[in-house]
Amino acid sequence: MIHHKGKIALMLLLPTFAYLIVFIFYPLVDTCLLAFSNPAGPLENFRRIITSGEFWKTLRNTLVITGIVVPLQLILGLALALFVNLRFKGYLFILYIIAIPLALSDVSAALMSYSIFASTGFLNKLLMAWGWIERPLYFFGFRFQDRAFWVIVITEVWRATPLVFIILLAGLQAVNKEYLEAANVFGFSPWQKLWKIVLPILRPSILSALLIRTIFAFQVFGVIWILAGRDIPVLAGEAYYWQTVVYNSNISSAYGLIIAVVTILISWAYITFLKPKSFEEEAV
Amino acid sequence: MKRTLLFGLCLSLLLAVAFGQLNFVSTQFHPATEREYFEGSLLPDFVKLTNVKVQFLPLTYEEASVRLRAEQAANRVTIGLFAELQGGMELMASGGLLKDISGVTFSDRTFISTFEKYAHGYGIKQFVPWLQATFVMVINKKAFDYLPKGLTKEDVLKGTSKWTYQALLEWAKNIYDKTKMPMVGFPENPQGLFHRFLHGYLYPSFTGGQFVKFDSLDAVDMWAYLKELFKYVSPGSSTWSFMSEPLMRNEAWIVWDHTARIPAAVRADPEQYIPAPVPAGPKGRGFITVLVGLALPKNAPNEAEAVRLIDYLTSATTQFDILEKTGFFPVIEEAIGVIPAGPNKVLAEAVVAQAGAPDAMVSFIPGLGPKGGEFTAYYREAFRRIVYENEDIKKVLQDIAPKVYQTVKESGATLPQPDASLFH
Repeated sequence: MIHHKGKIALMLLLPTFAYLIVFIFYPLVDTCLLAFSNPAGPLENFRRIITSGEFWKTLRNTLVITGIVVPLQLILGLALALFVNLRFKGYLFILYIIAIPLALSDVSAALMSYSIFASTGFLNKLLMAWGWIERPLYFFGFRFQDRAFWVIVITEVWRATPLVFIILLAGLQAVNKEYLEAANVFGFSPWQKLWKIVLPILRPSILSALLIRTIFAFQVFGVIWILAGRDIPVLAGEAYYWQTVVYNSNISSAYGLIIAVVTILISWAYITFLKPKSFEEEAV
Repeated sequence: MKRTLLFGLCLSLLLAVAFGQLNFVSTQFHPATEREYFEGSLLPDFVKLTNVKVQFLPLTYEEASVRLRAEQAANRVTIGLFAELQGGMELMASGGLLKDISGVTFSDRTFISTFEKYAHGYGIKQFVPWLQATFVMVINKKAFDYLPKGLTKEDVLKGTSKWTYQALLEWAKNIYDKTKMPMVGFPENPQGLFHRFLHGYLYPSFTGGQFVKFDSLDAVDMWAYLKELFKYVSPGSSTWSFMSEPLMRNEAWIVWDHTARIPAAVRADPEQYIPAPVPAGPKGRGFITVLVGLALPKNAPNEAEAVRLIDYLTSATTQFDILEKTGFFPVIEEAIGVIPAGPNKVLAEAVVAQAGAPDAMVSFIPGLGPKGGEFTAYYREAFRRIVYENEDIKKVLQDIAPKVYQTVKESGATLPQPDASLFH
């Protein structure tokens, strides 16, 4: 009987194993093989990337974008979640409005952003109509990288904050109202309630949101590709570029592995330093 | 099983030869929609007209080459007509696989002389030009209000000797001075084809070759020119892949792109967005063309039927039909006359004017295989470092040139035009 149950369990697990082997394990192994394949030696592709001069700029851009976008999304997402969690009249309508960008792909978001900030876009038309500027302002192109950078940040924040918002709002639903009522009895200010009760309870949700958003931020390139091309190179964009434009799968795979390693390191740091402690641990 | 299949194929080919069926091997028209058009519409019309049966055999260059060599070695040639790109024809002719067809002429049509020139080689006429695809300029007619002194709209549209890169620079500067807007545009995004402009247009026009003079003094002048021109190029260029969009959004007035990437604008308003030949440089009017030709293999059977098919495929009406259905442009001057007024006509006029200009200098895309991406990446790297990062031109060219030469060498590609002509 037990033996029979084991067989059924195995059969039920088979589709998952098949999925993992075909879509995760095989591509991963193949990527590793490609990344370490070069007639000049297994590390040649990585040496070529690191000594290219482009790599450090690419890594810096990726880290800076992640370092700005993710905290901004966290702060905005938290503020919006706390606001909607007040459950005022019509809060559901606000919730849906905030969640709209979730339905957009990064390409659509970038194109919408382009139509706002292009030289013939809505913003320039508006500013010229008001007589504030005589000629259009340029936000894109190599000479305007700084402006393009901030357009990318705005687009990414707008596009992906709703994900953080949804995760944190779900976390807020789990906050036991009795804790807050007790805090009221003890005369806690709203700030103290947030800092001493809500945020510690929300810690697992914050960790999840940070993890997901950081991993995605490292993979982001659609928005950047459309709004800046390779003027602002990022790691995922370089992987795509080497595969689809230069047709060099080895360098592209090496970039893919670098992204994986950096993401794993950052995820490890998140889990290590933000891991929620149990009450027992805190008591000790 | 394999043997049976092979036997069946040989038998059918032998029967075809015995009963006068023409075997037409083509490395073109392989995509489903193009093949459907070719087999479902173009060839049946020919059969109705001539009663000549044609078997269309789509093969890759490698397959066709191996088969033709084997058939000629066995002295049993079954391929009656062969369609391939100019580069492939050159290789076939170098191996003595093609018949000299200088006697095949058609009195009612004028093939563009530039293509006729490249149809010859290795002491024979290798092929009859059939189809072409290329890159051209498209100009918003507003830009014509700012033409510099000495340059007319006619010069630009006809590609006269006055339509030069220097004139383009003066034009762009004039627009900028009057409107304070940089209105020249290129598809600089990595998905765009700007690298083709660098190696297939600017380099030949200024140095006479696509890469053999990569770090020459002429190349230094060329890059200095490009730096100057980019003062008037829209900064948005680095975000553009297809130039029809910025044209229609009024972000650029003078643009360059592939003929397959601009029809949206030209079709939207052929009177507003006008295609034109590219300018000429000190060494000529360099332009990339994808040229397809029709050749007769040596000892080919059914020669009379093959010539009738060539006659049909290069006639003005067929050339127009192919343009409408596939986007390949005509190679005979008379085709313009049968295209009704509209976007196809203005596009074809520009393409034919460009190819037919007296100073036209054809660039064939080098056959670098998987090395093609690295080759073009070096041109983009030179562009970025020189134009955007303001590095010393000579230093950048001397740094990149060995890499370009090495890439070409490793690919084993033959020297493409116009580089090859520099050594003849």
